[in-house]
Amino acid sequence: MFKVSYFLEVLPVIASKVNVTFELTIVATFFALLVGVVIAVIGYYKIPALYQFTRVYVSIMRGTPIVAQLYFFYYGIALYSAFVRDMTPLIAVAVVMSLNMGAFMSESIRGALLSVDEGQKEAAYSLGMTNIQLIWRIIIPQAIRVALPPLFNDIINLIKQTSLAFMLGVPDLMGAAKIEGARTFRYFEIYAAVMLIYWIIIFILGLVHKFLEKKCATMY
Amino acid sequence: MGTETQLVKIEHLYKEFDADTKVLADINLTINKNEVIAILGPSGTGKSTLLRCLNYLTVPTKGAITIGDVTVDAEHHTKRDVLELRKHTSMVFQGYNLFKNKTALENVMEAMTVVQKKSKDEARKTALELLDKVGMSERRDFYPSKLSGGQQQRVGIARALAVNPNVVLFDEPTSALDPELVGEVLNTIKSLAEDGTTMILVTHEIGFAREVATRILFMDGGRIAADGTPEEIIDHPENPRLKQFLNFVNRK
Ligand SMILES: Nc1ncnc2c1ncn2[C@@H]1O[C@H](COP(=O)(O)OP(=O)(O)OP(=O)(O)O)[C@@H](O)[C@H]1O
Ligand SMILES: [Mg+2]
Repeated sequence: MFKVSYFLEVLPVIASKVNVTFELTIVATFFALLVGVVIAVIGYYKIPALYQFTRVYVSIMRGTPIVAQLYFFYYGIALYSAFVRDMTPLIAVAVVMSLNMGAFMSESIRGALLSVDEGQKEAAYSLGMTNIQLIWRIIIPQAIRVALPPLFNDIINLIKQTSLAFMLGVPDLMGAAKIEGARTFRYFEIYAAVMLIYWIIIFILGLVHKFLEKKCATMY
Repeated sequence: MGTETQLVKIEHLYKEFDADTKVLADINLTINKNEVIAILGPSGTGKSTLLRCLNYLTVPTKGAITIGDVTVDAEHHTKRDVLELRKHTSMVFQGYNLFKNKTALENVMEAMTVVQKKSKDEARKTALELLDKVGMSERRDFYPSKLSGGQQQRVGIARALAVNPNVVLFDEPTSALDPELVGEVLNTIKSLAEDGTTMILVTHEIGFAREVATRILFMDGGRIAADGTPEEIIDHPENPRLKQFLNFVNRK
């Protein structure tokens, strides 16, 4: 049966790998945001050629499982690219997560940019503001308010996705669990511990998300 | 009078959105300082387009526009020309178009600090005076979402005055308002007229135009079909299309 003493013993062992999860999340969030902003701006201005390219890219990223993307990249592309072959598994996971989540984030960001109505832009132009002034002072502040809650949701999803790293042998929470399992065969307690740790992290972020959503809705 | 200073000059202005939609055809117009011009006319005759050509929100196809000391020729204009032209005008919109992320006060200050590069203190002082003038100083720290339509429009008027424009352009400033809020905005505009603000006002409020305008233009089919004093245009119309228009409006 469920052995509480073992559960309490294994919990810190597994939790000690949580830094991998955090590192991956932070790096992937940063680059996903970068990818997301670039794609969103291309979409906002409908830049020819690039726009069509990003539509296909986003569609593929959203329309295929991330595990398939990861294997395609790490095992598929590696056959033809020494650059990918030389990547550590951790970096490869970070790259795929950034590319994948960037596609999702671009949609949130593009929607937020489009949420600023034409009238306000005309008002800014009519007062003699330049495009840059309009973007920095009117569009971005309003777009952030709209984009923040969905982006935060994307980040929560990113955290769950970090467990993919395990599939390439990166010793994260799942990796630690596997090693423990091979030693003690107490999968029940071990994976309960894994789930508890993820759940606590996501739960706390969920609270932050709720707070942000409320704050953004009542800001002005 | 003879001492009038010319502020706006429109020469041979044409606008075609495409080959089939010729919206403005050879508009010529001179406007002097302190004139309050009302533009009347049936829907779709190009009133808004004319107004928007004056600040290049709509780019004309042909023709020259002079406002103050800036002349912009549609066929050879640069970005910088357009910015200069816009610094000499400002606009009050039917939908108010206040910046939603800024308070009433910040809306009025925005162009002074960002476009005119005035100091925050100076901009604030001017903005407070203007908000007072439009009766909105008590709500200076409110965001647009917390203001009624009439209040938003009065802030919109203060924002337009803040840049000290040569001419203020109004495109149906009361058309989106509930009837009970129209009065407060018209009164604000009237007080500007009394101060001698040069204005061009597209409106469907014939009575208001009759009372406040110093000159009325009647537009029809992309041209200025009649141009005269309120008495000439409203009380003694001669143009048959104008008569028809006034009859139609009066019947409503
Ligand atoms: N962006 C545009 N593209 C194509 N056609 C346009 C555009 N803007 C206006 N038009 C056309 O130009 C004509 C004049 O429009 P405008 O808005 O200037 O009329 P208006 O006199 O202001 O009418 P209203 O009293 O209804 O506001 C209309 O036939 C309209 O359909
Ligand atoms: Mg109009």
